[in-house]
Amino acid sequence: MEEELINQVKQLIIDSLRIEGMNPDDIETDAPLFGEGLGLDSIDALQLVVAMEKDFGVIVPDAATGTVVFQSVRSIARYIAENRK
Amino acid sequence: MNCFMFPGQPLSHSGTLPDDADFCQIAQDTRERAGLNLNDFTWTGTPSTGSVALQVYGVAMSLYRKRLLVREEIRPRLIAEHSMGIYPALAASGALPEGDALELTARIGRCMSVMSETGSYALGCIVGLPGEIVISIAENNGVFMANHNTSRHFLLSGERRSIESLEAEALARGAFSVKLFPCDAPLHTPMMEAIGDKLQEIITDYRYGEPAVPLMNHIDQSFLTAADVPDFLLRELLLPVYWEKSYLALRKAGVTRYHEVGVGDALKKYNRWIESEAARSL
Repeated sequence: MEEELINQVKQLIIDSLRIEGMNPDDIETDAPLFGEGLGLDSIDALQLVVAMEKDFGVIVPDAATGTVVFQSVRSIARYIAENRK
Repeated sequence: MNCFMFPGQPLSHSGTLPDDADFCQIAQDTRERAGLNLNDFTWTGTPSTGSVALQVYGVAMSLYRKRLLVREEIRPRLIAEHSMGIYPALAASGALPEGDALELTARIGRCMSVMSETGSYALGCIVGLPGEIVISIAENNGVFMANHNTSRHFLLSGERRSIESLEAEALARGAFSVKLFPCDAPLHTPMMEAIGDKLQEIITDYRYGEPAVPLMNHIDQSFLTAADVPDFLLRELLLPVYWEKSYLALRKAGVTRYHEVGVGDALKKYNRWIESEAARSL
């Protein structure tokens, strides 16, 4: 997977969630996004869904897909790579 | 313009607590006035439920964080509140002493917990569906809208089996997330009228001063006066929270900085959603 897309996803997380004082390098590519990882929750996840659609034209259609997609930065990037138009 | 926003009851408590003088004072007040030992989450007197403990903990942490902000010379020009955040909000506005806010929270919580002896209740957090669909799901399942937080974040409240039964419908209709939380009472619904008289007795035991800082209520976004407070404290337990309306009213009033004074950052996240949605519609 392209490193550039991984970095774009990290920047998307920082921008859409308005995380202050964090750089893309601070986010581990394979760390869990929820719970002990970045500590995101369902409010954040929905914000990411909207941002992904706006920036990449990729839709997360349902909760089950979201559970798979939002495991880590890498899983988001993989989903974008497979589904963007 | 600074606004202090006081969130409602947290869903869990942190194992790590502060150990400074301000927290020690708040913890002592919490033990003496609410009967809860914050350090080990045990009751010093008659035990109550985990929900009541979380309600008291949430208020204690709000009072503590308010003290920290004031120590940093950060003071509010406006105060807003969400659900049970009204109790520390009253204290922060100068309308109620901190100790009374803690005691009132515990007494209201204990009164509500009696409902769990004869019924089983839950909250259902639905993320991702528009309001009209969530209302339809609530009506289909005999539960009530308890929180209208943003255009896509809602909390339903009612009997536990009804809340459990709506999960499948919400997911089938496209909800991004549905989470259920057991609770002692159907907070923010007309079902709370069953204990209305007892709640009223508790509320009228306290004297409420005029807020020194304007305090916006979450029902109709007006500013509470001392005379309004007792009636509001009862009504707010029976009616939904309208956070999106509160945020828009705060913004219209000129607020430029929002400080979430309590556990977590859910209100900031709701604000972020409302802001981003407004930007998308431009």
